[in-house]
Amino acid sequence: MKKGNKYGVHRVIEPKGVLPQPANKIDNNMDEIYDNEILIDVQTLNIDSASFTQIEEQAGGDKEKIAEIMLGIVEKQGKHRNPVTGSGGMLLGTVEKIGDALIGKSDLKVGDRIATLVSLSLTPLRIDKIKDIRPDIDQVDIDGKAILFESGIYAKIPDDMPANLALSALDVAGAPAQTAKLVKPGDTVLIIGAGGKSGMLCCYEAKKRAGVTGKVIGLCHSERSTKRLMDLGFCDYVFSADATQPVPVLEKIEELTGGEMCDVTINNVNITDTEMTSILCTKDTGLVYFFSMATSFTKAALGAEGVGSDVTMIVGNGYTKGHAEITLQLLRESDKLRKVFEELYA
Amino acid sequence: MKIGCRYGTHRVIEPAGTLPQPAYRLDNTMSVFDNEVLIDVSTLNIDSASYTQIKQACSADAEQMKQMILSIVEERGKMQNPVTGSGGMLIGTVKEIGTAFPSNKLKVGDKIATLVSLSLTPLNIKKIKKLTIDSDQIDVEAEAILFESGLFAVLPDDIPEKLALAVLDVAGAPAQVDRLVTEGDIVCILGGGGKSGILCCYQAMQNAGSSGKVIVVEYSNENAKRIKNLGLATDVIVADATNVMDVYNKVMAITGGRGCDVTVNNVNVPSTEMTSILITKGQGSVYFFSMATSFTKAALGAEGVGKDINLIVGNGFAKGHANLTLNIIRESKPIRELFEKLYI
Repeated sequence: MKKGNKYGVHRVIEPKGVLPQPANKIDNNMDEIYDNEILIDVQTLNIDSASFTQIEEQAGGDKEKIAEIMLGIVEKQGKHRNPVTGSGGMLLGTVEKIGDALIGKSDLKVGDRIATLVSLSLTPLRIDKIKDIRPDIDQVDIDGKAILFESGIYAKIPDDMPANLALSALDVAGAPAQTAKLVKPGDTVLIIGAGGKSGMLCCYEAKKRAGVTGKVIGLCHSERSTKRLMDLGFCDYVFSADATQPVPVLEKIEELTGGEMCDVTINNVNITDTEMTSILCTKDTGLVYFFSMATSFTKAALGAEGVGSDVTMIVGNGYTKGHAEITLQLLRESDKLRKVFEELYA
Repeated sequence: MKIGCRYGTHRVIEPAGTLPQPAYRLDNTMSVFDNEVLIDVSTLNIDSASYTQIKQACSADAEQMKQMILSIVEERGKMQNPVTGSGGMLIGTVKEIGTAFPSNKLKVGDKIATLVSLSLTPLNIKKIKKLTIDSDQIDVEAEAILFESGLFAVLPDDIPEKLALAVLDVAGAPAQVDRLVTEGDIVCILGGGGKSGILCCYQAMQNAGSSGKVIVVEYSNENAKRIKNLGLATDVIVADATNVMDVYNKVMAITGGRGCDVTVNNVNVPSTEMTSILITKGQGSVYFFSMATSFTKAALGAEGVGKDINLIVGNGFAKGHANLTLNIIRESKPIRELFEKLYI
């Protein structure tokens, strides 16, 4: 077996010298694996929400066209990194082969069901056939293979829940785990895009951390998600608004917080132009966590400066230690959450 | 006088409902609303990423660059580079103050620098008087508007205004370094030889102290030498910051494989996110000051290599940043002399 680089640099075709994520093309030949790689027989791709929304729009909602766009992306790049949003997603599959250098070092064995927790935007992928597309939950069943690098993170699918349920929660595992780290007792927390998948997990975790003296505000868009979040009962306030319109949202938050604004704002919205809303709703000593892949760096950076806000802005890191365990645990803790997830995403 | 919104939304032409920064086009009619300040502009300091892009697009031809800047402002009512999204700042004299403008610190005739980005400042250029391809400061005959929420600094008497402008432009960077770096930290500054890099180095050396390390990664030999001569770093690496593995190996050699507690990215070229991430140790922080940073490359990059680190979006504003930065110029004679040579 050929010796591979820890970060997968050996798979990069062009441009030379970069890592697999920023690369335009990576080698997705699966006939032979490197000594520090794991070959996965893929069953399901869970496309990143911003990416899937973009592909669906481009395809006008037509499944054939969605399949065509996805195959085209993988054909061209050797991985599924959406050229518009730059984002990927994750996958569910079975371990087929383990490189020599990892035997004894990895806790995986052939036949294990795993979800990769690194982005599809850097995962060598080959799609042989697209079998089913489930647009409501951004999941696509395929015949295909993928490679996990030595530095790649993964989670074994637990026995006590269905694989699809675990996958849909693991996909956004970073968000509730970061929420757990950020929110302190007594905090006022705003979750933007609170009615979506990661939003609901964040709301639950935020309330747990903020406690009775804290306040969790959920901002949703559609009537349906607003009602769903209200019924879940995790938030102190839930309201519906267009997050791209900073001024009305700002006024509402001023009213709900008595002009104090929020200590922590978590942005989970998978649409563009919500940076200013996030900044303006946060105290100028507060913190904004951008989990949305649709965030523009310059809009956030210049936006805060432009309104003279001393807010701390963090780029959502999809990985934090223990994130898979924290997130799966939420589904075990809360029956309500698990029920909604089963209905919507599994 | 017409009544304006605190954040200047009354100046937004399209798309409606957005704030001035993300707006495509602003109303740059130079009559003030009640909470605005009208400024007679003398100099624009174009953001470095923006200036580099303009220079490249115009093949470093000064006349073409003038035309490009004029046409951006003509089209958008503000100097926001459509490619980089960034702006810059300006100096000028206060010409008129709206009746509802809150600050009592300002009077007509004051020389000020605006500390909000040009990317949201209504601007009307009558004439570009001087543009040289090597300086991102251009002299103009122009007028601009400062909103109620807009930040500004009255220019000090003891520092020449062009020097003050040059350092205030990047005032956020050293101020954030002051917050992030604590004694004993290993700090890496990517792009340490440029303007904000030098100020960051100075502050990092102060904060990290004798038990810490400040490592500078610099592309140009000349800049690297300058940092060494000024004693602004403990280690200097000459390398291309976009070459991830090269920088990674060199930083690991210096740190004994530990990596850095704090990495500050000041490089104004794209694709340096992964370098920043890989050289930072677990639980450490990366501060992205470069406007060329891609949000998705940073977010997915850290996840992709399984790094549990803080990725921070550079905020150009931090309380007290103007004073902190002007004080560096007062404290460090070598930096002052260097900046006087380079930026005036």
